[in-house]
Amino acid sequence: MPRTQPTEDLFQMIREPIDASALIAHVRGAGDGAVVTFDGCVRNQSHGRRTLYLDYEAYESMALTKIREIASAIHEKFAVHRVAIAHRLGRLEIGETSVFIAVSAAHRPAAFDACRFAIDTLKRTVPIWKKEYFEDGAVWADGELPAAPPDTPLAKPAS
Amino acid sequence: MATASKTIPVKVLFFGRLKEIVGRPEDSFELAEGVSIEDVFASLGVTHPELAAYRSSVVASRNQEFAAWTTPLRAGDEVAFLPPVSGG
Repeated sequence: MPRTQPTEDLFQMIREPIDASALIAHVRGAGDGAVVTFDGCVRNQSHGRRTLYLDYEAYESMALTKIREIASAIHEKFAVHRVAIAHRLGRLEIGETSVFIAVSAAHRPAAFDACRFAIDTLKRTVPIWKKEYFEDGAVWADGELPAAPPDTPLAKPAS
Repeated sequence: MATASKTIPVKVLFFGRLKEIVGRPEDSFELAEGVSIEDVFASLGVTHPELAAYRSSVVASRNQEFAAWTTPLRAGDEVAFLPPVSGG
């Protein structure tokens, strides 16, 4: 299977609104029969409390590295053409897109599977945090603790 | 064991709740050679006792890769303490 060059994928961590149509156009090629997208948007409530807005922050350099790793894993696992992943940072209002993923492939099963893999992995491994603002306060959203290498009590500094 | 008092520069980053507790997004330290990520977190706990309660729900990174708490640090390393992630 021909492998996508890394430069053909697209990754963004941005503070402006995400241009979803540009991401879709970026991944869509003449050999593709499917583009599957995921549009993650800001919901108006959390656990029954009315949300006013969200504020996202990230360890930006590491987040981009982790997003690139997700795309690399996708190309290893699924017969896809291109991957585009954009995540918004800063204050987001209700209904705005916080994350957008587009995956193109010759056939739809790979595109669906890869898009699902991308958002599920992003939510587990990419260092991004959201704070939820309510009428009576703000909380950091419950998240997932990424897996880290196990501790090695006998480890010594390499000499 | 490190000999004498040689120190290494290490940059430490804080995110989310941890940034609020520490009161700043990053700091730079001169640390004894051979200290681990765990040692850094423990020493921060001296000035910020609230941190200890978060130890089990924090993951650490070294130079932008998730790292074991026992990882020994080297000069110029960038360490970050990361609460559970909630992107998407």
